[in-house]
Amino acid sequence: MGEKIQIKEINGRMIDASIQIQEHQPVIFGIRHLSPAGAWNLRKLLDEVMPQLVLVEGPSDFTEELRYLTDRNTKPPIAIMAYTNETPIRTILYPFAEYSPEYQAILWAKEHQKECRFIDLPSGVFLAFSRISRKDETLGEEGHMSVYRKLDELSGEDGHETFWERTMEHFSENHGYWKGAEVFGKNLRELTEDTECDYAEIVVREAYMKRQIKEAIEAGIAPEKIVVVTGAYHVEGLKRSTAELSDQELKQLPFVEVQKTLMPYSYYRLSSRSGYGAGNKAPSYYGLLWEAHQREEADYAARSYFSKLAFWQRKNGNMVSSAEVIEAVRLSFSLAELQGYQIPALRDLRDAATTCMGHGNFGEIAQAVADTEIGTIIGSLPQGVSRTSIQNDFYHLLDKLNLRRYCSMTADDLHLDLREKLTVKSQKAAFLDRERSFFLHRLRVLGISFVDWQQVHQEKATWAEHWVLRWTPEAEIEIVEAQLKGDTILLAASFQMKEEAQKEGSIAGVAKIIEQSFLCGMPETVSYATAILQKIAVESAAVDEIAKTVQSLSMVIQYGSIRELSSEDLIPVLEQLFLRACLLLPASCICDDNASHEIIQGMRMLNEAALHHEFLSEEHWLQVISDIAQRDDLNTKISGYAAAILLERGKFTNEQLKLQVERRLSKGVPADLGAGWFEGLSMKNRYALITRMSLWESLDQYLDTLDDEEFKRALLFLRRAFADFTAREKSDIAENLGELWQLNPEQVDEVLNTPLTQEAQEMLNELEDFDFGDI
Amino acid sequence: MPTKTKVQRLPAEQMFQKEIDALIEAETESIPTGWKMSPKSVLTYITGGKVGKTVITPKYIGHKRLVEIAIATLVTDRALLLIGEPGTAKSWLSEHLTAAINGDSTKVIQGTAGTTEEQIRYSWNYAMLISQGPSLEAMLKSPVYHAMETGTIARLEEISRCASEVQDALISILSEKRISVPELGIEVPAQKGFSVIATANTRDKGVNEMSAALKRRFNIVVLPAPADLESEMDIVKTRVTQLSENLDLNAKLPEQEVIEKVCTIFRELRLGVTLDGKQKLKPTTGVLSTAEAISLLANSMALAGSFGNGTISDYDLAAGLQGAIVKDEEKDMLAWKEYLENILKKRGLKWSGLYKECKELNHG
Repeated sequence: MGEKIQIKEINGRMIDASIQIQEHQPVIFGIRHLSPAGAWNLRKLLDEVMPQLVLVEGPSDFTEELRYLTDRNTKPPIAIMAYTNETPIRTILYPFAEYSPEYQAILWAKEHQKECRFIDLPSGVFLAFSRISRKDETLGEEGHMSVYRKLDELSGEDGHETFWERTMEHFSENHGYWKGAEVFGKNLRELTEDTECDYAEIVVREAYMKRQIKEAIEAGIAPEKIVVVTGAYHVEGLKRSTAELSDQELKQLPFVEVQKTLMPYSYYRLSSRSGYGAGNKAPSYYGLLWEAHQREEADYAARSYFSKLAFWQRKNGNMVSSAEVIEAVRLSFSLAELQGYQIPALRDLRDAATTCMGHGNFGEIAQAVADTEIGTIIGSLPQGVSRTSIQNDFYHLLDKLNLRRYCSMTADDLHLDLREKLTVKSQKAAFLDRERSFFLHRLRVLGISFVDWQQVHQEKATWAEHWVLRWTPEAEIEIVEAQLKGDTILLAASFQMKEEAQKEGSIAGVAKIIEQSFLCGMPETVSYATAILQKIAVESAAVDEIAKTVQSLSMVIQYGSIRELSSEDLIPVLEQLFLRACLLLPASCICDDNASHEIIQGMRMLNEAALHHEFLSEEHWLQVISDIAQRDDLNTKISGYAAAILLERGKFTNEQLKLQVERRLSKGVPADLGAGWFEGLSMKNRYALITRMSLWESLDQYLDTLDDEEFKRALLFLRRAFADFTAREKSDIAENLGELWQLNPEQVDEVLNTPLTQEAQEMLNELEDFDFGDI
Repeated sequence: MPTKTKVQRLPAEQMFQKEIDALIEAETESIPTGWKMSPKSVLTYITGGKVGKTVITPKYIGHKRLVEIAIATLVTDRALLLIGEPGTAKSWLSEHLTAAINGDSTKVIQGTAGTTEEQIRYSWNYAMLISQGPSLEAMLKSPVYHAMETGTIARLEEISRCASEVQDALISILSEKRISVPELGIEVPAQKGFSVIATANTRDKGVNEMSAALKRRFNIVVLPAPADLESEMDIVKTRVTQLSENLDLNAKLPEQEVIEKVCTIFRELRLGVTLDGKQKLKPTTGVLSTAEAISLLANSMALAGSFGNGTISDYDLAAGLQGAIVKDEEKDMLAWKEYLENILKKRGLKWSGLYKECKELNHG
């Protein structure tokens, strides 16, 4: 309870904190990263103090890069980034938005021609630390989470985010922010000190920063003319009278070689993955808060939020009346009042918008909310400044995979053989082509124009690949852009495919992505897309689409081994899809001849899948197929095809076949239905059909029962059924018939295989025009 | 608590008189015009808490934020529309809101296909009308009329069941905030504090679709099904216990495990996803509300009590489940079969009995 009271004291608007600049002490301004109110109040403080030197929390080796940050052509959001030379690549990243207090402090220094420096540990030390503590990473994450959870509990309402916004981000007077942030940082420190597992690192950082401050003072700058901008958490640490880092200790710090760069950043990435766990879920909305501070209009952000939402909705064809917007504004203020505040927080705004503009349904405004809260802004940098980790990764992989020589402006062919090369000694060389294939496919997924994938002839398709490689300056730009998706080629490709998988609506589309991930050698993405496939598969009801998906998955499972891919996750999904197809199939067989083609293709794919995989229930499949083969109310061509499947699998005895033929080809059955059935039957394993004499006997008997008109009709359909038999097959049939009719086989064969005479052709043409409606 | 009466059900404000009095007594915040207590106290009354020594029982559990939105809406003198599936406590919430705000939850109009415009506005005592001509005495005021006069809140249940002309009569009341009585040549303006809480059923969509003009005059709050398995099981358990007392069912109360099974299956099919969130499912066409789970269990108890050994068996349960889930539609059958094969079958020993019985039923 005591803690709760303490935390409630932090209130940027309430505390009357007249400015207290102690003599001979530098001014330490605690902030929350990415805090508009912090940026605004900091600028005000800088104007008052007019310091000679501004010190900002950030890796000190980046001080030389500050000039790029303030360049005329730099548009935030941007980030400074350092990454290790060695693999696996590790990075640290400091993103800045326009409303970052640090960024505004740096800008202020430039505008007033004052000196500005970063004072935190050099990035090489940071990354060396992260290598040491990597072992405990999971633990660290947990420890961190629990702090925020604790903070959430103490903050009441909706967690510390909302609490912070309500108390700190709206208007403050008389340096309320400055003091409030200090109390917040102090409380946070009390909560976490000793329990935080990287506390040792924090102590070192603060000692280093103190050393930097001391050095500045020793260089002759009056302490009160120095402003230090740092996370609120560190204020207490910097004020404590502990010693600075000594020369000796400085030398003992671990260090790794790093590359430094600046990179364009995006609001989207700011909101989705940023290491601070603080105030950046809604960058675009925070931008509005920043604007509100500049205009000094307390309710500006709230009003703009609703207008922007309404504007987006109208632009996308959804009616929003002004009355709804007004009611939403009123409700949001009323909600804030219920909590005891004057200005609504983001939470109130969103709930009010849901109630008034979304008619109680968040789904109606979800996209507009995403656009208003997160936005699509991407920063930019002057040309040539960026040398990002993904570029580095790319060149590193080129060397590793012996592909550097393909990096030329002329197009080169590259043929890969994915099979293990048994003639070479090292494991690496044996699978070199497979690694290359993974790499090239990943580039392809990222849309980098360096690579072009060519189709390979069918029979080698499982193990051979053909690529055309050509380097262009555009490819370089595409790679830099891919940095926003991930630090390395692998991470970026994985991010890209996960995003695509989320957007994909059809199961065949997701199956395609699974295939892609399989080609890229990314098992983790395969599992991710598989989970999505499972989700949307629930909605799909078209047998042919399911069958296509079954085929893709079945292929990945079958050939997974050549790319060293485990198919464990795919099996249950395939089982489910197969079961669904079995349940839906009989009902889909009631269709016309056009649709029957698709269904038959689907049945073929499903049958193949059932043959290849033992885990699919063969028994169930055969039960469905024999059901279709038996039933008279389905499309007869499909029933015929089902019979063909049974025949091929040896589940249809001569007796059964004879019975079926007699029933399907009896006099009462319309000739087109009978012939359709026969056509379906003859789409598979013709050889087995041809050798069954009983079939031909039945067919013969059937034809005998027909009268002239009926015969003409049956002739037409039977001709169609036999149309795509080969000459060899036809002569085998001739042999059968000859035997039945006791004729000379050669004679019959000749008749069957000579082209039609003019006369016969005409007769057949007449038949085509035959009006079957009369029969 | 009031002494035992023969009344089957007391209105909320009498049932929870003590709590309301305690809240009013301890009031420190400012009270909106026409209200009996501050918005914060209303929130405490609905979601529970403690005032001095009096414990305030929670009336609506789970979605506190929705209650906040509802109260904030009424503070802005906007009308409130509560929408939800059957059995999501819409009327319950509306009753308690008015009980806390006005101390009177009885100004209520039940919307039916037979509700007329007069029931929304006013009608006449015809005997008096004929003998004396139109006068205030001959007039029968509707609950809405009363609420306008006194600056309180009127309730309108199942608004989407009313014919559209009746719904339209509300539009002028909500936008003009006055009722005119041409027969007497008067106009009655609404006093401050007047508002309307309406409820509507999502399953009635399309029966009498609310017009955009009317919808626009409401702030809409959608009440969802119980948030998690535990709270749903709690609700089911309490209600089944009450029911079995009332109906004298000769069966043992269902065990926790049985309730859990029913609630799990209902929740999974309702939400279209397994409880662990790992697998999506095809949802069924029926509502599968908490109320249905309650009646299913009561039925199973009746079955077990009358024809079985008094304990609900998997056999009793399977019959009930099939009946509740498969509402004579091909689609439901498909979804249910898939659910059995893909989910239930793989759930292990605890569920295998139920799976077998369900499968048996399907093939029989």
